[in-house]
Amino acid sequence: MSRADRRYVLLLLAPAAVFLLVFVAWPLLNLFRDSLYEVALLKPGERAFVGLDNFQRALTSSRVGGAALRTLGYTAIALSAEFTLGFVAALLFNSLGRRSELLRTIFLFPLMIPPIVAGLLWRFLLIDNFGIVNQILQQLGLLASTSDVAWLGDRDIVLFSVALPDIWLTTSFVTLVLFTGLQNIPVSLLEAARIDGAGALQLFRHVTLPLLRPVIAVVLIIRGIDAARAFDIIWVQTEGGPRFASEVLSMHIYRTMIRYGDLGFASAIATLFLLALLALSLLAFFVIWRPDAARGSA
Amino acid sequence: MSRRAPGPGRLLVYALVAFVMLVYISPYAYMMLTSLKPPEDALAIPPHILPRQLSLDSYTRFTSDAEVPRSFLNSFVIALMSTTLAVALALPAAWAISRYGSWPARVFLLVTLVTRMIPYIAIAIPFFALMRSFRLTDTWLAVALAHVTISLPLAIWLLAGFLEAIPSELEDAARVDGCSRLAALLRVVVPVAAGGIVVTAIFCFLASWNEFLYALLLTSVEAKTAPIVIAGFKSQYSLNWGSMTAVGTLYSLPVIVFSLFMQRRIVAGMTMGAVKG
Repeated sequence: MSRADRRYVLLLLAPAAVFLLVFVAWPLLNLFRDSLYEVALLKPGERAFVGLDNFQRALTSSRVGGAALRTLGYTAIALSAEFTLGFVAALLFNSLGRRSELLRTIFLFPLMIPPIVAGLLWRFLLIDNFGIVNQILQQLGLLASTSDVAWLGDRDIVLFSVALPDIWLTTSFVTLVLFTGLQNIPVSLLEAARIDGAGALQLFRHVTLPLLRPVIAVVLIIRGIDAARAFDIIWVQTEGGPRFASEVLSMHIYRTMIRYGDLGFASAIATLFLLALLALSLLAFFVIWRPDAARGSA
Repeated sequence: MSRRAPGPGRLLVYALVAFVMLVYISPYAYMMLTSLKPPEDALAIPPHILPRQLSLDSYTRFTSDAEVPRSFLNSFVIALMSTTLAVALALPAAWAISRYGSWPARVFLLVTLVTRMIPYIAIAIPFFALMRSFRLTDTWLAVALAHVTISLPLAIWLLAGFLEAIPSELEDAARVDGCSRLAALLRVVVPVAAGGIVVTAIFCFLASWNEFLYALLLTSVEAKTAPIVIAGFKSQYSLNWGSMTAVGTLYSLPVIVFSLFMQRRIVAGMTMGAVKG
């Protein structure tokens, strides 16, 4: 590449690079700096350097630990449900082949719904005395009374309940991507394995699954990151309640900053959250993806 | 797959798919039906699925309240601003990545990938302080800039994929005809990639239209977006479910209808990064 070419590439990259530096990198640097200070939110001029105190507080706080565990729990619930349901739907669509186009189009619609609307809608569906879900469960004979299950009021199940709209909204994304991955598997390969006497289950385990591995990895990572940083969908359902039983990390950081005005502490938790999410996503990237391993076993 | 007559297996698949569809659509359908009930019927015990009486009261009730139409306007302007900015910034960067692919371009692509792994709240907090020091809080611009931090990495990623399909001979030919490189990009490459640019713009628009956390932090009165106002229904008019279903429908239905028309292109965009792996 000539020097002129190189200069041209840098010129093309410059506008986006400047934007990211000013509005992403600079704020992040501020976040790291603030995490080392005790700051009065209303008077940002008054700050005292406290070293790693905020981090020590964050790592020993049971409220932060609880929120971190709930973030993991919420991500695990949402991700496993979305992946299982999404995979089944993708296999169903795949067995219908091209004829499934209209159905897939319809299936796509929740992706366009704002999470805030989905969250409120499910809150409306799940209200214990006049919500439609408990009403239907009662008519099916599964509940004796519509007030038997308090979906959003019971601390033991609330983390499952708040994940429902998330699952409803994004299963179609998983389906869509996996379906495309399935369609990209060469038919000749499946035919060859069938001629070799492979049954449906063997075909799935030894041909489909290994070939789909990179696609599965990307879906899991994308959806995992999104579920881990969920805020709005849970916020409108419970605001983290009852008694913090559905408070995830994003929400706890938001509260620490807005309600308690503790910018330094909020920044420290956010920094830890950022590092953890980065580390986990990169780890997942390398562990699940392993394109070479996938090719080897196929 | 093969052209077999529909056997029992195939029928079972259809039945399963039909059931999944029904479960999938019914929450949204119920919201629309509820919005057409008289507002007090939304709270009926026991609830009934079909409206016993059609009424547009839930709709007319909030349109008299200036806050709701205004928030729709805010959402629309902010989405338009952030989409324009994101696409304008992403296009040259994506071209550099897909056409030249030198190491700075590859590093840049990696940076946008990593940006996608950052929790929103980690940027939102210092971003809020930054906007306050610019005296920009509660303005369209502040929210639009915040939304570009979400949509720019997405736009670069999508556009780089779309532009890859364009043969580099196209640019060369335009240059032989006397175009400068930048002119070749704008006059030759952009029109050819128009379809991909439209899809990218739709995704950027949706990201902004549906966004909540940044808007919550950055707006208070003037620039409040619709998701903030809709979320406010639950506390402000406690249990105002009638209005919630009406505004929720009004805010999401146009987007859903529009994207169903654009379905093919949107699917192409959504599966792009993931399937090419």
